[in-house]
Amino acid sequence: MNDGFAEYVAQRHLRLCRMAYLLTRDWGTAEDVVQTALAKAWLAWRRIEGNPDPYVYRIIVNTHASWWRRRWRGEVPAESIPEAADPRDSAAEVDDQDAMWSAIGALSPRQRAVIVLHYFEGRTLTQVADIVGCSLGAVKSQLNRALTRLRVDPDIQCMNLEEVQR
Amino acid sequence: MRHTETDLRRFLTEHSQARDHGEPPAHLDAIVRRGRRIRRTRRMLTAGATLACAVAAVGLANSLLIGPQAIPSVAAQPPVDSAEVVEPGPKPPEEFQVVLGATKFAMPLLDSQRFDTMGAAQTVTFTPASHDTGFKVVCDDPEAWVVLQQRLKNGEQGGSSGRCKDGVGGHGDEKSVPSDWLEGPQSMKVWVFPADAPVEEVVKDTVACPKGMKECAEHIVTWGLSQPKVLERLSEEIGERPGRWAVGIYDRPVK
Repeated sequence: MNDGFAEYVAQRHLRLCRMAYLLTRDWGTAEDVVQTALAKAWLAWRRIEGNPDPYVYRIIVNTHASWWRRRWRGEVPAESIPEAADPRDSAAEVDDQDAMWSAIGALSPRQRAVIVLHYFEGRTLTQVADIVGCSLGAVKSQLNRALTRLRVDPDIQCMNLEEVQR
Repeated sequence: MRHTETDLRRFLTEHSQARDHGEPPAHLDAIVRRGRRIRRTRRMLTAGATLACAVAAVGLANSLLIGPQAIPSVAAQPPVDSAEVVEPGPKPPEEFQVVLGATKFAMPLLDSQRFDTMGAAQTVTFTPASHDTGFKVVCDDPEAWVVLQQRLKNGEQGGSSGRCKDGVGGHGDEKSVPSDWLEGPQSMKVWVFPADAPVEEVVKDTVACPKGMKECAEHIVTWGLSQPKVLERLSEEIGERPGRWAVGIYDRPVK
């Protein structure tokens, strides 16, 4: 096997799983998505020229989007977490993390993909546009809206307020 | 401290590492097995499609040679056994009623296409049979918002929008459709948004109501819904959600 596929899997599997986890928010699903993506990449391996990463990322993003559509059960992201912790609580830092995780989870699948590819994978916006299959302008627009949503998320505002009070 | 892009980068890195339970094993054999399974499925689908085309071609040839009465209708029979019964979703009506002043006529269904998700723009392609082509969108949720846009004469854009229950659609004629209407396949774009989509808010934010108006009137919201900025923003905010709908294409019966 064949033209470096095994080496690619050995080197990149963990990183791909982490990236997929940020998209899917479930470790088991992330591993499943990555295995599907790598299986599809294996089929096309000889036709992939250069770095396989963009190709594999594209499959992961598309697979996640299609699974999300198929498995959606009517959950609607909440504006705020019920019974939010007291901002003066000593566990505020943990709450900060939870608030950010919750805010990222409230993004649409495509906005989340743009955030993860750009800030976690360090891809340029042009590369992100190529991976998610839309124009650079659309990616910039998605990114701006996603960042705005993360910053105006009620939980994050609480967090900022608390920082000011300190 | 304000959340910066660096904070976001650090958060993603830490979170992706904190939530894994050790290094997940990369089962190369399982990956290759899954790859082979995908390839088998694709081949079966391709073979099935080819076979279906061949059967259709043979059936057509036979019916032309023998005549329709000689062949029992196999295609019209329901399946003998089905492991899974899937509800077909909304179905466009068989006829589209047109009233133009004193002129009234009905157009039969030419084509219909079904969709399982809402929120994203869908391009519907069809081949018109005449200049009198009609469209109608039907939805599982009658309160869903629908926007339909198509090319008109002289390159202008036209269409309609509103709640699905109001019968969003329309029809063209020789005076309104592009001059190349009958020269090949045509397409139109359809957006369907959930009933609870923040249409009024986005219309207010994006294209605004007339000054001094506290609330956008329904007809202004409906108009604003068809504006490109509103459509783009709604699609981004909502993403893609499950929700079944269908579009029917109608055409004037051949005389």
